[in-house]
Amino acid sequence: MTVTPVTAPPQGLNTSAPARRRRRGKIGRTIAIAVALFFALAPLYWMVSTSLKPGIEATRRDPTMLPNDVTAENYQKLFSENLPFGSFAVNSIVTALAAAVISVLLSALGGYALSRGTFRLREPISYLVLIAQMLPLVVLLGPLYLLLLNAELVNTLPGLVVGYISFAVPFGMWLMKGFFDAVPREVEEAARVDGYPRWQILFRVVLPLTVPGLFTTGTFVFIESWNNLIYPLTLINTIDKQTLPAGLILSFTGQFKTDWGGMMAASVVTTLPLLVAFFAIQRSMVRGLTAGAVAGE
Amino acid sequence: MRGVAFAQRRRRGPQRRPWLDWMVLPGLLAVGVVIAYPVVRTFQLSTTEYNALSGLDPRPVGTDNFEKLAQDPIFWEALGNTAIYTFGSVAVAALIGVVLALVTEDMVGRSRFLKTLLLTPWAVPFVVVAFLFRYMFDERTGIVNAVLTNMGVIDQGVPWLVSATWALPTVVAANVWTQTPFFFLVFSAALAAIPNDVIEAARVDKTRGWTMARRIKLPYLRNAALVASLLMVISNFNDFAKIWAMTEGGPGYASTTFVVWVYRLAFTSFDLGYSSAIGVVWLLLLMTFAIAYARLLRRGT
Repeated sequence: MTVTPVTAPPQGLNTSAPARRRRRGKIGRTIAIAVALFFALAPLYWMVSTSLKPGIEATRRDPTMLPNDVTAENYQKLFSENLPFGSFAVNSIVTALAAAVISVLLSALGGYALSRGTFRLREPISYLVLIAQMLPLVVLLGPLYLLLLNAELVNTLPGLVVGYISFAVPFGMWLMKGFFDAVPREVEEAARVDGYPRWQILFRVVLPLTVPGLFTTGTFVFIESWNNLIYPLTLINTIDKQTLPAGLILSFTGQFKTDWGGMMAASVVTTLPLLVAFFAIQRSMVRGLTAGAVAGE
Repeated sequence: MRGVAFAQRRRRGPQRRPWLDWMVLPGLLAVGVVIAYPVVRTFQLSTTEYNALSGLDPRPVGTDNFEKLAQDPIFWEALGNTAIYTFGSVAVAALIGVVLALVTEDMVGRSRFLKTLLLTPWAVPFVVVAFLFRYMFDERTGIVNAVLTNMGVIDQGVPWLVSATWALPTVVAANVWTQTPFFFLVFSAALAAIPNDVIEAARVDKTRGWTMARRIKLPYLRNAALVASLLMVISNFNDFAKIWAMTEGGPGYASTTFVVWVYRLAFTSFDLGYSSAIGVVWLLLLMTFAIAYARLLRRGT
């Protein structure tokens, strides 16, 4: 900001060539941003607008930009007995929260050990954990299904949480290791010199410093679980135990395949919690994901 | 001897804290049960013939599954689709992301909220993305066909998601829509981290606009670009929800990637032997990326 006087043309004549070029650049930028905003937001506008249209209007060949008759019927339908949207939502919330809590606990413990531990396999195990989070879930799915079948956990919500753990814990441990690594060792040393026992240092000094990390890990796991389709589709086989993604896909088939109003209303309600979660963590998320990758850090 | 060494190591006192090391166990145990065991079992099943519904035990068949795989035309089609979906999405999304990061770089004060608005698609659940694109790209009632027809680009509706030509590009478009904000955010962070004196020095040398972006700023984005692309490559490689919810891999196998193919084999034909063999080949492919990624991170830190 302080350089503005240097770059401004000293005589202040706006007709000079550089000024004209700069103005053209500014117009170009404004257009680029406007186009980007349009593509980012138009689909969402379309979703909300369609969710307020009656069924016939949503399937017109010449779509109306604004609903001609605004109606709440699509939202009311969500909670009728034909579509157990309420139980989808409850199942999604319960399983995503359970996965988040369990993986935050395991990741905080494991991440701290991976960051500060003294065992010889610390580094190899760290890389195994990193690789484990990249494994394609679908490859694990067959054996995992057989395993849950033996444990009589197929078609139960706890079984689904076990599935979510397979991506949540490796990712969480790696993320938390990064957050613990960022806590300066001097902080712990200082507390140790003051005579605090080790476990108190962890709970009173280190954990409070990594609250953003714990929060990011939990929210991330919540989002991934909320988004996951492949596990509920395979591990759950009755509609009343289904989560939102799988439940909605299974509900809007056959004659309901073109119930666009209903689909968009369900979409609006499914998007809201995730929108809140995302904006809560977007910044620390990127920092955690790309640690060390951003130049100059 | 070993006892003495052990005792000595223990006596090194406050440096060594076994209880701290043991804290890794619960997490490792979970990973062992839900990841390590299934991976080992996948390798084992890949050398057998096993239909989960048949009630028969897996029958060892050696490398039959892998030989069948090499000759399976669907394997090559799925490989091509996976490559297009994975790298196509990343290339387009990264390009748009870097341009947006550059043009919004100077936005300060009140207009900053526009940057946040640009991130919204990232927050939309995958199943909703799928529903949205199914609706917008519907042949009869979709807004895309309506707009293109009104503009005179096309005479009649294109059957986007149900056409063998357009299904995959449309799915890629949906994926680009959700992933561009991630690249935008990462590149914005990387731009903000360029040391001020570098920019100042270039300014003094009368470097401006496009030259500044290309010669000075882009080289600084290299690392961020590499890591962000690898993350999204791996995420696309494993993506199931968007493709399945939009096309189920169809029509035919036109938009079937590896994930969708394995899913179809394992959970609609219950052919766990063959699907495990595909899983093994695919694990090996993915490991190549994983190792590259681990190296990158190690070098970065």
